[in-house]
Amino acid sequence: MKKILIYCDTKPEDLSLVGAVELMVDEEVSLTAIGYKEHCPSGNSVYDEILLIDDQKIMAYDTMNLCDLITEVHQKNNYDIILFPSTQLGRILAPRVAIALHVGLVADVTDLHLNHGIIEMIRPAYSGKLLAHIEALGTGPLMMSVRPGVFQPKAVQLKSTNIRELHGYQPKPSQIILLQTRLKPSTEDIRDSKILISGGGGVLEHFDHLEELATLLNAQVSASRRVVDSGLVSRRIQVGQSGKTVSPKLYIALGISGSVQHIEGLKNVETIIAVNTNKNAPICSLATLVVEGDAVDFIDKLSTKIKKIV
Amino acid sequence: MKIVCLIKFIPDVEDFKYDHERNVLIREKMNQILNPEDAVAVAFALNVKKYYPSTTIELVSMGPQSIIPKLEELLRLDLDQATLITDLAFVGSDTYATSRIIAHYLNKHKVDLILTGTHTLDGDTSHVPAQIAQWLGLPHLSNVNSIHMNSIDLGRLELSVDHDQEIMSFAVSTPAVLSLQKEAPYKLPYVRFEDLNKDVSERLKMLSLKDFDLKREDVGFEGSKTKVIKTFAQTLKKQTKIEVTTDEAGIQTVYDYLKDKGFLK
Ligand SMILES: Cc1cc2nc3c(=O)[nH]c(=O)nc-3n(C[C@H](O)[C@H](O)[C@H](O)COP(=O)(O)OP(=O)(O)OC[C@H]3O[C@@H](n4cnc5c(N)ncnc54)[C@H](O)[C@@H]3O)c2cc1C
Ligand SMILES: Nc1ncnc2c1ncn2[C@@H]1O[C@H](COP(=O)(O)O)[C@@H](O)[C@H]1O
Repeated sequence: MKKILIYCDTKPEDLSLVGAVELMVDEEVSLTAIGYKEHCPSGNSVYDEILLIDDQKIMAYDTMNLCDLITEVHQKNNYDIILFPSTQLGRILAPRVAIALHVGLVADVTDLHLNHGIIEMIRPAYSGKLLAHIEALGTGPLMMSVRPGVFQPKAVQLKSTNIRELHGYQPKPSQIILLQTRLKPSTEDIRDSKILISGGGGVLEHFDHLEELATLLNAQVSASRRVVDSGLVSRRIQVGQSGKTVSPKLYIALGISGSVQHIEGLKNVETIIAVNTNKNAPICSLATLVVEGDAVDFIDKLSTKIKKIV
Repeated sequence: MKIVCLIKFIPDVEDFKYDHERNVLIREKMNQILNPEDAVAVAFALNVKKYYPSTTIELVSMGPQSIIPKLEELLRLDLDQATLITDLAFVGSDTYATSRIIAHYLNKHKVDLILTGTHTLDGDTSHVPAQIAQWLGLPHLSNVNSIHMNSIDLGRLELSVDHDQEIMSFAVSTPAVLSLQKEAPYKLPYVRFEDLNKDVSERLKMLSLKDFDLKREDVGFEGSKTKVIKTFAQTLKKQTKIEVTTDEAGIQTVYDYLKDKGFLK
């Protein structure tokens, strides 16, 4: 039996990390979740055990103390695999734990293979034109981070979960104090949108045209890193490996080539419509509908048609 | 106040071209650039020095000797020292080995503030800063988008972190590791005209394995905890697809499709 520890830092119902376990373990597993209450299921769930961190004792972001706590929990239980979500906090916590346990860490795994007993972790490499298969060396535990939404478990089996609060732990005085939290003015999240109108290098300076089509389709606008890097839009709306993983029903890719890193951000998208001057661009092989031609011309014509008929 | 900026030079991603017909990377003329977020960190350090002239700034980079001219260019700004950690033995270091080597160097010096980027454009793991913080036992925050200049002398820094939908303000005791994000409003100045060709070689220090109390097997491929087994180009699952153009018939097809699938009411 393999013992797995999963750090929870997203919605309690997010099972991406459990989905990852399915791909790399072909025997029975015992699943332990660790996290703050708001991120963990409150009743019976896929986990055998849930360990709740006391937010009065350790504040999220106090990664030094969180790391000590997780290390201690591991040393008591000797897990085979420890998984972190690539959330903003997970991204700074996982590397600390990896050093504390003297193990390797692979970031943002997008696929997993079990190859003759060896777990191969796959992630984009070398500017993302290629995918790398990575193996962990040493005695373990195996550690990796996975972006929320990348994997989904096929079978979900409910267990009678043992939920425990972690007591008896004395954190060191925190060197980080939270002073204030402010909501940003715009809180729309491209991950919540059913339809995304996404622009890339082919629309750059005409990016504002996308808004028109988005309004007509009741959709949100997103972008490739090309557009984000050029400073035209915020990283908040970037799709891909270093942006967000999205699963809309419809994704209209306007002037996006479909690099590996971009495609990594598209999971369980039902329909892709690709508009590109080059119908051999990689994104077109993923699309149900390929429109060969200028993206801005396409937006204008389609918008006109929708407006005329509505 | 002593500030160390950890900086990395990366291949200019815009230079990467992929030949889809032959399935190969075209690597010719690949230019090395300073990771943009690391430039933001250096720019912030320079701001601090303007406010508090007693500040010293050291750049630390682990990489090949080919980046020396780039380091010298930076040294022509108001920076005190650059340290290049470079040895063929270090080639192949994963983030575990890299952070260990850099932390070994930093451990020997009294530093108040270690500034980094949140992530690099090429590797994009964002492991190294948090790992160094752990090796050194220091607090760490990333996605820092501003640091309050007035708080700097107090042994406690006030700063804001861009946390997705929120902005969070923290107070952190120093020494600390802070990773800046690209959106932070600090920009590198230009080198003064009279300094363009200034000889700065005296302020550039190079270190190799023998300068560290680390063994050969602690660094490079041997000292790494992960190993790349193979790389390959992604093959995309082909969809059965409809192909049209942007002429009237094509737009009609798209329109009908959207209507048919219920995307248009
Ligand atoms: C570590 C790392 C992480 C990365 N993470 C991400 C990420 O999260 N998200 C991401 O998107 N990228 C990411 N990238 C960058 C990625 O490799 C590509 O550089 C990027 O996705 C390219 O964006 P693009 O396809 O929009 O632009 P381009 O590569 O410039 O492609 C433009 C496309 O538009 C077409 N076109 C040109 N003109 C027109 C026109 N008038 N009308 C219609 N079509 C036109 C072209 O045929 C081409 O297919 C990452 C890279 C690295 C190294
Ligand atoms: N080889 C290196 N030399 C110096 N600093 C580095 C090196 N690698 C990473 N860093 C620092 O760590 C940050 C994050 O890098 P990464 O962990 O590679 O995404 C960078 O922005 C740098 O500040």
